[in-house]
Amino acid sequence: MTTGTETCFHCALPIPADCHLTVDMEGRQQPVCCPGCKAVAELIRDSGMSRYYALREAPDPGVGRPPDETAEWLVFDNDDMLAAFTETSDGVAEATVYAGGMYCSACSWLIETTLSKLAGVVSAEVNPVTHRLRVRWRPDGLRFSDILATLADLGYQPQPLAPENTTRPELVEQRAALKRLLVASLGMMQVMMFAVGLYAGDFQGIDAEMQRFLRLVSFFVTTPVVFYAARPFFKSAWRGIRTRKPGMDLPVSIAVGSAYAASVYATFTNGPAVWFDSVTMFVFFLTLGRFLEMRARHRSIDRTVALSSLLPNTATRVSGDSKFIVPVSQLQAGDRVLVRAGDGIPADGVIVHGQTSVDETMLTGEARPQTKSVGDAVAAGSVNIDGLIELSVTRTGSDTTLGTISRLSERARYARPAFVTLADRIASYIVIALLVIAAIVATAWYFVAPERAFVITLSVLVVTCPCALALATPAAFAAAGSRLSQLRLLVTNGNAIEALSRATVVMFDKTGTLTRGLPRIQSVVVLDESMTEYDCRLIAAALETASSHPLARAFATSASLPRVSQQHVEVGQGVSGIIDGRRWRLGSANFAGGGAGIDTGTPDSVATNVFLGSDDNVVAWFDVEDELRPGVAATLESLDRMGLRAALVSGDKQGPVEDLATRLGIADFHFECTPQRKLQIIEAAQREGERVVMVGDGINDAPVLSGADTSVAPAHGAMLAQTSADVIMLGDSLEPLTTVFQMSAKTMRIVRQNLAWAIVYNALALPLAAAGLVPPWLAAIGMSASSLIVVLNALRLSRFE
Amino acid sequence: MSILYVLIPLALLLLGGAVWVFFWAVSSGQFDDLDTPAVRIIMDDDSKPDDSER
Repeated sequence: MTTGTETCFHCALPIPADCHLTVDMEGRQQPVCCPGCKAVAELIRDSGMSRYYALREAPDPGVGRPPDETAEWLVFDNDDMLAAFTETSDGVAEATVYAGGMYCSACSWLIETTLSKLAGVVSAEVNPVTHRLRVRWRPDGLRFSDILATLADLGYQPQPLAPENTTRPELVEQRAALKRLLVASLGMMQVMMFAVGLYAGDFQGIDAEMQRFLRLVSFFVTTPVVFYAARPFFKSAWRGIRTRKPGMDLPVSIAVGSAYAASVYATFTNGPAVWFDSVTMFVFFLTLGRFLEMRARHRSIDRTVALSSLLPNTATRVSGDSKFIVPVSQLQAGDRVLVRAGDGIPADGVIVHGQTSVDETMLTGEARPQTKSVGDAVAAGSVNIDGLIELSVTRTGSDTTLGTISRLSERARYARPAFVTLADRIASYIVIALLVIAAIVATAWYFVAPERAFVITLSVLVVTCPCALALATPAAFAAAGSRLSQLRLLVTNGNAIEALSRATVVMFDKTGTLTRGLPRIQSVVVLDESMTEYDCRLIAAALETASSHPLARAFATSASLPRVSQQHVEVGQGVSGIIDGRRWRLGSANFAGGGAGIDTGTPDSVATNVFLGSDDNVVAWFDVEDELRPGVAATLESLDRMGLRAALVSGDKQGPVEDLATRLGIADFHFECTPQRKLQIIEAAQREGERVVMVGDGINDAPVLSGADTSVAPAHGAMLAQTSADVIMLGDSLEPLTTVFQMSAKTMRIVRQNLAWAIVYNALALPLAAAGLVPPWLAAIGMSASSLIVVLNALRLSRFE
Repeated sequence: MSILYVLIPLALLLLGGAVWVFFWAVSSGQFDDLDTPAVRIIMDDDSKPDDSER
């Protein structure tokens, strides 16, 4: 059986029992699963980079993909392409390349170190978060294609980015946020220092001149904090007023604005107190919260790049008898394009020559290849499996099916009703109430003691400042987001945590979500007693070398294979060939048995059967099945304990889906679902009051993911699904899903505690301040302390295990 | 105490300078990548001295 106890040193896939390859790594013989892994491991060792294995966080599941041919990259050496993708100054060219297939910091180390060793490379830097490589080199000694080919040889999928793509809006936003954060933090520290002097003066007495000076200085430092660092809050508050939906930022702005205005007034009129320290501290905490929130949001991977990474970089255009390799972006409708077996289809088109089977898993979720011949339409983003075909291009770029699906998912994402948080709703009522109360207090004191009216009103405004309330939710969410990202879970949508905590149903996709999406031989049944299981496997493996059908991967072995002659792929049927003078057929029952058919003795539902036959008799059959992702059973069990119902929606056929659902104990399952059907199932559940979490990957799921209340995607799903999902799970196991649910429940508990504390504090402080019992300096301390408690409580989330 | 009238404005000047330098550093892209430098320190590289550009 294939599932040995040992796993490959390089790629961590199980080692086939008949494989005995090892690689000498720092004096130890480490097992590897195939000659390819052996070669890569040796390349890494011989380059002196064995430390890669110690540094990497997770084994690279991208291996096993054949390295791209260098010729493919040569097209990037022509002048047009160089002009489009590189910038040259002082004899040094610079380009930004998206390195597909990167998983961790060790990958970035490997890329940087390997490239730095190429003669002519000036510098190479990789950002492991955005998967972008910034490389500078001397074009007279090194070609751009060499760099791309080197990356491809390492097993990554390089994709040059045009320079304008590199100044992304996120980057602009991050730079602005960093500047604001620095102004707020430095301003706060300075003002705090002056405030110590002022408070000491309140108790011990202070020279009036000095007090005036310290206040003036505080005013100078606070002004940029209010007008620069806090500007986004004012802007958003103003937006809230205009749209008559007062949000969290309105109370924040009123607190900052009024405390600042009152302090300025006090500074220039020698009033009783200033609150510059409270203003700057408040702005700093809010800015910090926003900054952490923004960082968590930016961790989602750039969408446009993700989409086009499914497409090949280049296409072979045919005109007359000549063939040109052109970049995919230059294809136009009406072009003739040649697609080799194993290549991705670059644009939507109609087959004009040849026949093949096409893997459309990314577009339709159908794992089985579709047979296509002359006149059939094929879609960009699917993979040509067996045959050489020539296409007439009908649609390119964003007009393709792939582009349309992506637009659809975009629309579904924006059509989501704006989520109003509990805190926002409470805060907008509270701010209105506060303003009314402050007005009442001011009026009342005006009649009782007009000289104290202003100070007391200020105390009321400051002490009841809803900053604890305003911080309660964002602080908890920011702490939860950063802790989750440490646990290799990325939250891309701020509403996800709240929505997850209310979830009632978890719907799973099958292929690539519950299963790995990699078929394996589960069992072999030999009918001909003169044959051993091992012989059958060898023969099957030898025959399958001709095929690039996804199921063929299940047969791959490193053992030396018998020679096959007259190997022939019957599209949609199977493979045949002659071994030792005997004709063998591998494929469907009909094909292998020469049309005789066979009773397998098992229900058709079980996995997929592949038959091996010779001379019109079936000799053996293989039970090929997609392996379950690790942690599936444990995850489903803990979801059940948390009271969440699991459901299975799949685009696959009834048999495999029903089989899997029974095995995992999922009572609610749906099969042969198109994306539209999946969306209908979700909407039907939502109409019954269920809150649906969709766990899935694959582009066909993107609209479905957006339609669910919350969506979770495993990271090595299609890139598009990653970015439209609310939560992204890195790593192979499904178990982090449990963590997400536990974390969301705990986050919401802390948010509720924070809100409760803020409300209790305000309820206690308000009457005291209104009664004139709280001097402004005590009000400021009370306000800061209440916010601090809220922040510290939120930080407990960052220790969540 | 009158020394404060000199020292505090001096401190503010230094503060202004620090803010200016930081703004320049952010605008020139030095803070664009906040993730790699944290792990880069543990990946000591003996092949060639670190490129100090950018």
